[in-house]
Amino acid sequence: MIKPDNQRRYTQRNSTMNEEIIRYDDVSVVFDEKTVIDHFSLTVCRGEKVALRGPSGSGKSTLLRMAHGYARPATGTVSYRTHPIDAETVWKCRQETTYISQDTDIGEGRTRELIEGVFSYAANREVPYETALKEYLALFSLNEETLNKDFRSLSGGEKQRIVIIISLLLGRTVYFLDEVTAALDARMKKQVADYFLSHDDWTVIAISHDDVWYRDSVRIIPVGDA
Amino acid sequence: MATPDIPITGLVAAGLLLIIPVLIMHKTRLPMMRETIWSFLRMSVQLGLAGIFLTVLFEYNDPLLNALWLCVMITVAAYETIRKQELNIKRLYLPTCAAFACTTVLFLLYFDLLILQDGGLAEARFMIPIGGMLLGNALGGTIIAVSLFYNDLRRNENRYISSLSFGALRKEALMPYFRTALKAALKPSLGNVAVMGIVFLPGLMTGQLIAGLSPMTAIKYQIALMLTIYTSTTVCVTSAILLTSVSSFDEYGMLKKEIFS
Repeated sequence: MIKPDNQRRYTQRNSTMNEEIIRYDDVSVVFDEKTVIDHFSLTVCRGEKVALRGPSGSGKSTLLRMAHGYARPATGTVSYRTHPIDAETVWKCRQETTYISQDTDIGEGRTRELIEGVFSYAANREVPYETALKEYLALFSLNEETLNKDFRSLSGGEKQRIVIIISLLLGRTVYFLDEVTAALDARMKKQVADYFLSHDDWTVIAISHDDVWYRDSVRIIPVGDA
Repeated sequence: MATPDIPITGLVAAGLLLIIPVLIMHKTRLPMMRETIWSFLRMSVQLGLAGIFLTVLFEYNDPLLNALWLCVMITVAAYETIRKQELNIKRLYLPTCAAFACTTVLFLLYFDLLILQDGGLAEARFMIPIGGMLLGNALGGTIIAVSLFYNDLRRNENRYISSLSFGALRKEALMPYFRTALKAALKPSLGNVAVMGIVFLPGLMTGQLIAGLSPMTAIKYQIALMLTIYTSTTVCVTSAILLTSVSSFDEYGMLKKEIFS
C-alpha cells in the first residue's frame, strides 16, 4: 500500500495541488467566555501535511472538531472544499474525510463486531475491507487475535491502532488527526506518522506532541501562545 | 362469593405493622423513618382520593369522563418521566406526552377489540385499571430508556462522534444508544415474566382471584395483559426516543446542550 519514494515525487507535482480542502477564516474559539483563539486563519490544500502546534488547552482540538461540525466557531467560518460548513456540507465532510479524536473510546463489544458495525453503515457497505484489515494489523504490529477481544479490554495503544486502522480501511484521503500517536511506543509512533505522511495525495492535519510529526515535509502552524 | 371488606380496625392493624420497620430503623440509626412514614401517609391520601374518584367514575361510567381521566393519567405520567430524568421539561414534554398517549390509546383499543372482543372499552372498570397498567409499565420503561439514552449520549459523546466520523448517518450513530436503552427498559419486565406464577402472583390476578373469578380466567387475563404491556413498552420507548430526538439535535446532528439545563 505504501508507495516507494520515487513514485511519490511524481504525484506531488500533479495538477491537483492548490485544490482547497479546508479553510479557516478569522475563526475564534471561546471556552467559558474566555477567548483562547482569535482570528485564526488557515488554508489547507490537497496533499498538504499540516501540524497544529500549541500548548494544551489552546483550542487546537476544537479547531479540528470544527471541520466535522462537532464544535462551532464563536466567530468566523470554516469551509470544506470552499463551501462554508453548514447543515449540508457537514454531512458531506463527515462522509468524505476522517476525523480521529484523541479519545479512543469508540464503543464496546468485540473488536471485530465494532469494525463490522462501521462497515454496516449505508455509506460504507460497499467498501471491501477484509484483506486490507489483515495487512493493516500486520503493518501496525497487531495480532489478529485482537479482533476477538473485547474492545474495552485492549490497552490504550491497541485501541489507538484499531481506531487508526478503521479510519484507514475507509479509504479516504483527508485526515484530521488529534493526538493519534499519544499512546503508542516510539517505534509505533514513527510507523503511524510515516504511514500518514507518505501518501502524497493525502491531506493530513495533525495535532501532536510527538516529534515524529514535525519534519521538513510538514507545515507547522502555531496555535495559541506557542 | 362476596369479597369480605377490610374493616377500619383492620386497616389500623395494617398501619401498626409500620412500627416494626420504624423501630428497627431507630435502633440501627438508619435515617429512613421520616421518609417511611411520610411516604405511607402520602400513599394513603393519594389512594383515598383515588378511591373517591374511582367510585364516582364507576358510578357515572361515562366514556367521556373515563377518557378525561386517562388524559390526566397520561399527562402525569409524561411529567414524571421527564422530571425524574432531569431533562429540560419544555423541550421534551410534548413528544413524550404524545408517545404515551398514542401508545396507551393504541394498545387499549387492541386489548379491547381483539383480545377481550366484547367492546367494553368505554366501561370504567376495564378502561381505568388496564389503561393504568399499560401506562404504569410503559412509564417505568420509558423513564429508564429515555434517561439512559440521553445521559449515555452525553457521557459517551466520543462514541457518537466516532461513528459520525466513520461515515454513519445520525440514525446509524444513535442505534447503539437506542439498543442499550430499549434493553434496559425491557429487561425488568422480561425478568418478571419469566418467574410469574411461581415467585409472585401479579396484582391483576390477585385482585381477580379475591373478587372470586376463576383462576383460569384470571390467568388468561394475565397472559394477555403481559403480552400487551411488553409490546406497549417497546413501542412507547421507541416512539418516545424517536419523537424527543426530533427536537434534541441540531442540524449538525449534535445533541443540544440546553436539554440538560
